[in-house]
Amino acid sequence: MDILRAEHIRKNFGSQHVLTDLNFSVSKHSIFGLIGKNGSGKTTTMKMILGLIKPTSGSIYVCGEKVAYGDTPTNRHIGYLPDVPEFYGYMTAREYLKLCGEITGVRRSEIHKRTDELLCLVGLNGVNRKIHSYSRGMKQRLGIAQALLNEPELLICDEVTSALDPVGRKEILDLLSAAGKRATVIFSTHILSDVERICDQIGVLNNGQLELQGPLNEIKQDYRQEALQIETLTPDQAPVLAAHLKALPFISKAEVSGRTVNVQLNHYEENSLDIIRLLASESIPILKYERLEPTLENVFMDVIR
Amino acid sequence: MSGFTAFFKKEIVEYLRSYKALILLCVFIIFGMMSPLLAKMMPDILSHQAINGITLNIPKPTFYDSFGQFFKNLSQMGMAVLLLIFGGVLSQDLSKGTLIMLLAKGLSRHAVILAKFAAALILWTASYAFAVMIQWGYTLYLFDKLPVPHLFFSLFCLWLFGIFILTILLMSSTLVGGAYSGLFLTTAALGALIVCQFIPGTDRFSPLALASDNAGLMTGAANLHHAVTAVWITVILIVSALAVSLVVFKKKSI
Ligand SMILES: Nc1ncnc2c1ncn2[C@@H]1O[C@H](COP(=O)(O)OP(=O)(O)OP(=O)(O)O)[C@@H](O)[C@H]1O
Ligand SMILES: [Mg+2]
Repeated sequence: MDILRAEHIRKNFGSQHVLTDLNFSVSKHSIFGLIGKNGSGKTTTMKMILGLIKPTSGSIYVCGEKVAYGDTPTNRHIGYLPDVPEFYGYMTAREYLKLCGEITGVRRSEIHKRTDELLCLVGLNGVNRKIHSYSRGMKQRLGIAQALLNEPELLICDEVTSALDPVGRKEILDLLSAAGKRATVIFSTHILSDVERICDQIGVLNNGQLELQGPLNEIKQDYRQEALQIETLTPDQAPVLAAHLKALPFISKAEVSGRTVNVQLNHYEENSLDIIRLLASESIPILKYERLEPTLENVFMDVIR
Repeated sequence: MSGFTAFFKKEIVEYLRSYKALILLCVFIIFGMMSPLLAKMMPDILSHQAINGITLNIPKPTFYDSFGQFFKNLSQMGMAVLLLIFGGVLSQDLSKGTLIMLLAKGLSRHAVILAKFAAALILWTASYAFAVMIQWGYTLYLFDKLPVPHLFFSLFCLWLFGIFILTILLMSSTLVGGAYSGLFLTTAALGALIVCQFIPGTDRFSPLALASDNAGLMTGAANLHHAVTAVWITVILIVSALAVSLVVFKKKSI
């Protein structure tokens, strides 16, 4: 079953049409990466899922229940981490989690236990300072802890990794990955390598709708560029090779850069042997021969172009 | 209304840790101590200013003057302090974005408004009560007791006016965004009330009467009947402002 479904969402801010017709669904136990340019409406979409802002039209369902604008009961299924989590600076992490627990209606004894577990999980145990002295990374971790407090079925994180250094990013991604074992995770980001690292589903938000959606590996298959990179032993062999390659009917482009020839071609699978035969018959020594993997970046650029 | 108790506790802790509670309490205690002293010393202060040998003949201050001074201080400076302390009552939480995570956790929006109102009400009432007790004690100590008609009613009027300010602040901050716009809107509303007072016949119905007729009620200069009308009007305004806050906040984009 789909844990989240959005149907024909439209959102205008005054005369600005941010979302025109957004449709998507997220199935249980997936890690869904929502990508899109600045201002494409990622945060807006997330806030609508939480009932914090009202769609101009359209409806959203969480666990089959319709999201109501204002106080929505569907939020009991959700843990949310905003892009810049703001806390009460005069509290300690423990006090803040206690407040969240009491609001969610977690039992008192349970709150204590969960708080200890979560602070350990995000590496904030033993930090007894007030939150106002926290770094952004620490706030982000505390944000994750509060989002996980009610053991949500759906975890929504808005640009969790944007403010973090590579080490912090890896830690947070590992946390999300682990959370993905129990919950469904939706997270937005600009950092495409983060998406490639942990997501299994992606959606690309562009022009007010989800222009591309599906399993990451399938999407990468579909956008597979037929490209090769061949590196010759010496620089003078590269142009020779390029000239020979260009003569082959299925090769559309062969560009030389130093010792490397960048090749674009059609139907690699059927024609690969011809290339190998050419290399052998012309006796061109090869240092490296690589079929280029499509990157999410190529896909993204392609979609938003 | 889930989360009322938790959020109410948070409000109280916030007032304590941001020293707002302490400041409010101290200021009002100072008002309670200062007013009788000021009333007592007023003749001395004035006679020192007598110039060119003209001696001012000032009547000996009484119990009335002490409370007159108290009402004057509280209805002007006291209300200004109230505005400053509670100026960011909801605006601050909204503009900083601290409410987002709590609302996403299922905190009810009605609970937010009611908890904020309850906490502010308690703080105001406590500070006011302290001020009144100290004022009472000092006045009894410094002056001879006189029968004061409607003193309690007068005190009640000022208390109610404080609540009126609190609810207008709360309502304003649900209506407009920004960290201090609630405060500005409230100040504007009070300004409008002051302007309205110049329309003949309206002054006695205005909530402002609750903060300006207090001394008059004691001496009999102000009409009790009018004051009671103003009380009812203010109560209706308070309830309406709360209702508007609840409804508007429920439907606010956050
Ligand atoms: N409250 C608002 N009032 C008016 N316009 C808004 C409001 N909130 C968002 N917008 C506009 O809607 C568009 C989408 O904003 P949103 O924050 O959803 O983008 P985003 O995809 O999260 O961007 P980013 O990657 O920068 O976080 C932006 O153009 C923004 O200016
Ligand atoms: Mg955003």
